[in-house]
Amino acid sequence: MNKPVVVDIQNLTKIYAGRHEAAVKNLDLQICEGEFYGLLGPNGAGKTTTISVISSLLKPSNGNIVIHGYNLNDNLNKIKQLIGVVSQEIALYNKMTAFENLYYFGRLYGIDKGYLKKRIDFLLDRLGLLKYKNDKILSFSGGMKRRINLLAGLLHEPSILILDEPVVGVDVHSRNVIREFLKEVNADNTTIIYTSHIMEDAEKLCSRLSILDYGEIVEQGSPHALITKHSDCSSLEEVFLKLTGQNLRD
Amino acid sequence: MNKLLTSIYKEGILLIRDIEGVVIMFVMPLILVIVVALLQQKAFTGISEDKIPVVIVDFDNDALSSSLIEGIAGSDMFAVTTVQGSDSLMLDNAKRNVADGVFQIGIYIPQNTTNIIKSRAVSMVQQQIPGAIQSNVNDINIQGKIHLFFDPVIKQSFRGIAKSTLMQFASSVETRIIFDAYSKFIDALTNQTSELEFPEKPAIEFSEELVSEFTAGIVPNAVQHNVPAWILFGMFLICIPIAGNIIKERGDGCLARLKTIPVNYLQIMIGKVVVFVGICLIQALLMILVGIFIMPLLGLPQLQVGGNIMALLIVSVASGFAASGFGILIGSMATTHIQASAFGAVSTVIFAAIGGAWIPVIIMPAVMQKISAISPMNWGIHGYYEVFLRSANALEVLPDVSKLMVFATVCITGSLFFRKYGKSL
Repeated sequence: MNKPVVVDIQNLTKIYAGRHEAAVKNLDLQICEGEFYGLLGPNGAGKTTTISVISSLLKPSNGNIVIHGYNLNDNLNKIKQLIGVVSQEIALYNKMTAFENLYYFGRLYGIDKGYLKKRIDFLLDRLGLLKYKNDKILSFSGGMKRRINLLAGLLHEPSILILDEPVVGVDVHSRNVIREFLKEVNADNTTIIYTSHIMEDAEKLCSRLSILDYGEIVEQGSPHALITKHSDCSSLEEVFLKLTGQNLRD
Repeated sequence: MNKLLTSIYKEGILLIRDIEGVVIMFVMPLILVIVVALLQQKAFTGISEDKIPVVIVDFDNDALSSSLIEGIAGSDMFAVTTVQGSDSLMLDNAKRNVADGVFQIGIYIPQNTTNIIKSRAVSMVQQQIPGAIQSNVNDINIQGKIHLFFDPVIKQSFRGIAKSTLMQFASSVETRIIFDAYSKFIDALTNQTSELEFPEKPAIEFSEELVSEFTAGIVPNAVQHNVPAWILFGMFLICIPIAGNIIKERGDGCLARLKTIPVNYLQIMIGKVVVFVGICLIQALLMILVGIFIMPLLGLPQLQVGGNIMALLIVSVASGFAASGFGILIGSMATTHIQASAFGAVSTVIFAAIGGAWIPVIIMPAVMQKISAISPMNWGIHGYYEVFLRSANALEVLPDVSKLMVFATVCITGSLFFRKYGKSL
């Protein structure tokens, strides 16, 4: 790891109100600049909780998080400007057009009007949505909504992009477009933290990943290194099943 | 400032795109104010301003009946229809009309009623000055009868008022006849024709004045009360769409996204408040225009808005802030649309009931009058009363405006508290 650490998580614990079990237990994680970092795990493993804490949506019960040298507790607005968050939900206003949605979120980031309009056109064009710029979100397909949802987190050119299941429920073509786009974003030196249940995507996209189970990291490394380490497995999915077991997690 | 304007821009777009919702927000309170003002018109005008239809069956056809008819017809209280003759069918017919509600009161004056009063007057003079008048009549206790029949739906108190008014007329006629008898006796005694005349007007007159805190000369009526009352009700009903708007944003994940953006949550909420205050102002303006132009067409009094437009605007803005702030608090507290609708609707109804929107505070029981002072709707209605009835200026409405603004601030602060510590997100 020659590149500087941009996300430094130390001893992170999160216990939800009314629960005895911690959703995340004493998690230590360092993510370097430009990495495409995957957080994998079965349902309830603590992936979404971890990225929700990094995204400032949840307060940690314990632990310390430093992003780009700024402590999360003391520099929230500075950190919010550095990160882009794309949630599992389609967090868009259905009755507003694609442009209006992106313009609204962009202006809240403080982006200059003129530049923002150009940036919106550029991003919409990149994901094949420019011709739908003035259409309302409610007329969009699931895949189109996912793409707009992704763009909303990229408007302010964050140095760290946090993605929670960004391709869940989308068609193969949209998934492919999103995947290729994320590769390009990552190639522009944007650090990406990514959760997914789709092992194939994680294997193709992630430079490094952690497999979480019951709130703890059970394995960490590049997909290739993990498959090599577990010589009885031929794919990341097999490694995943080996480490987390075959039982259903509902 | 840019972020606040951006927030206002977004709320404006969302509102315009929900045109059906906006129409409902404007139209429903307008229908409400017209319907309730029409319903309450009677209660406000009261029996003294609405003439009671009376049928008088006059078989007497003499001084008493003519004086009585003249007196009753000349009063502001009764609308008189007279039936003269001696046919008992006339009386039966009049009774049937009263029973059918055509008339609310029937008065039957039998034959010779005037003569009975005259005889009694003569007897009184005879008793006082024996031999003064040549007459065979000598019964001071002789009594005639005037029969009254009422529509059964008329209240007891109303009957009492009508009866005492009629007794007053009969008594004045009797006094006049006695006066005439004495006058004739004195004329005979002095062998002169006296020029004494019974005075037309009573020695004592009553002067009436409405004494309340609102004494600018504009009489509170159904319109003056209902327009401000339903402006406030309509404004507070806005809490339901505001709360729904917040709950939807939360459900869609938009509020979570906003939490990851470096923007103050207060700016987002103020954006909502500004847009909804605008809606409240348009709503108030429409209600006032209905009061001025539409209500008179429906036979209701015209709304008098007083002379101070600035004070009117200040009261409206403060009321809008209070209502929008309340909506934001509900939206922050409630986790579902059902919770927000139920709580918003019921609390608005409670605020309206205790605030004097349905029944003016002045006619509430003493305990309720004290309780009404805690309703923000009461502060708003009182503020409008001040402007409409007293032509109060901006300084004079400041106490009500301050309370409304404090209420709005408390609600918005409460919503920030729930955002930070509540479970709703």
